Amino acid sequence: MPHSSGSDLRIRLDGVSLCYRLAKQRIPSLKDYAIHMMKGALSYEKLWALRDVSFSVRDGETVGIIGRNGAGKSTLLKVISGVLKPTEGKREVRGLVVPILELGTGFDHELTGVENIYLNALLLGRKRKEIDEALERIIEFSGLGDFVRAPIRNYSTGMVARLGFAIATAWLPDVLILDEVLAVGDAAFTRRCEERIAEFHAAGTTILLVSHSEAAIKKSCGRCLWLDAGRLRADGPTEKVLAAYSGDTTGTEPAGREGGQLHPEELPHG
Amino acid sequence: MRELLRYRDLIRVLVERDLKVRYRRSAFGFLWTMLQPLLMMLVFTMVFASIFGSDRPGYWIYALAGILFWNFFSQSIVASMNSLRGNAQLLQKLPVPKVVFPLATVISGVINLALALIPLFAILLLTGHRPGWAILFLPVAILLAALFTLGAGLLLSPLAVFFSDVVELIGVLLTLLMYLTPVIYPYEIVPENVRWIVRFNPLRSILEIFRDPIYLQKVPPMTHIAVSAGIAIVALAIGIWAFRKSSDRIPFYV
Repeated sequence: MPHSSGSDLRIRLDGVSLCYRLAKQRIPSLKDYAIHMMKGALSYEKLWALRDVSFSVRDGETVGIIGRNGAGKSTLLKVISGVLKPTEGKREVRGLVVPILELGTGFDHELTGVENIYLNALLLGRKRKEIDEALERIIEFSGLGDFVRAPIRNYSTGMVARLGFAIATAWLPDVLILDEVLAVGDAAFTRRCEERIAEFHAAGTTILLVSHSEAAIKKSCGRCLWLDAGRLRADGPTEKVLAAYSGDTTGTEPAGREGGQLHPEELPHG
Repeated sequence: MRELLRYRDLIRVLVERDLKVRYRRSAFGFLWTMLQPLLMMLVFTMVFASIFGSDRPGYWIYALAGILFWNFFSQSIVASMNSLRGNAQLLQKLPVPKVVFPLATVISGVINLALALIPLFAILLLTGHRPGWAILFLPVAILLAALFTLGAGLLLSPLAVFFSDVVELIGVLLTLLMYLTPVIYPYEIVPENVRWIVRFNPLRSILEIFRDPIYLQKVPPMTHIAVSAGIAIVALAIGIWAFRKSSDRIPFYV
């Protein structure tokens, strides 16, 4: 991974734009694709979820990201995580990134809790040996007790969330990315999660946090980014950005779009 | 490549999960996978023994080896196409190298093939066909078959993500391909005027070097091995190239 010339930069985005190419007609099959291609009627609509976003985050910073629905927050997190590759621009992230975009991603509902701990941690790039060592810790934090021997399909939503969070945060990452995931648990779980995030912060982890809760952002983030229609509208101290955000009444429609009305079913999932 | 090394434990667990699903269902899970080729063999021997004449001793060995090979190839192709689709949700949320899914599928296909060879050799021994030293060449043949299959799987699995009907389409093409490959019929019965289709079918070369050690009990000629190796490597190179080109776009479609 290319290091940014000896500085303490963790994340650097340089003119990042991301475009979802939406077919004007839905073309789910090769047959339709071939027909449309022969007719010369293969046209796409471009939805720019991010436009020319540039910022950098220093080692150990905790940064909040706010914006309306459809402003591109989740897409931005996916780009930083490395799930989506930017259409334009450069993304540089140093070190191990743990994205928690959704709790319980990658769980196999037929497998038991323990089997899922292995599967999930391996998906996060862990080695089997590391998981052997951390197994007790993970079970302990999840608070599942004997339930870890039962298949996940018997779990409640809260239990799945707890296990997912316990696995993802069992190791100290360089960068932790959180997308509004703490909203699912009960108060006690939310508190434990916040404690763990605070521990990570104290240990020097760089944290990015998307939340609709201004209180949560205020509490943990010294700096805040405001995304508006795919563009970076403001970047600065949390107080100032939040004040500008709540005072904003322009209410820009979701992401800059070339073309007509956006139907929800056309949107890429997630 | 280095990334794959980092995720090798993941690949192992994915393979184990595949095998568990396949064999856990019943104590007979393992027998079931053998039963299908055995029944097919029985049918073919009864039907074709009369057609191809009695001048082909051990025709059933020829057919059975062919069927095992074909099952490996076609099942691995279909499974690797489903492997990316089946992990759709995950690929949008975690930066996992996508290649691990088709790769794990082909590896478990190889293990299934190896397991299916055990009863084959048991039957050979029982019927007095003691396998010769040539079977030591089998791992090489299986490796080449695996590389070829992986190449095809890497080429097709992103397509299956982009277009929902590709899996069915490939299913039809696989049936067609089976008839163009001497899996169950002897190569010699193909009429002269269409023989070139079968002859230049790349899958045939690889099938033959797999079957030679079992049926003819000899190591295939060096030229055949070289041709098969060339085909396997070209297929893999095309697969890797296509997968690299398309894999960044996979999370947008799944």
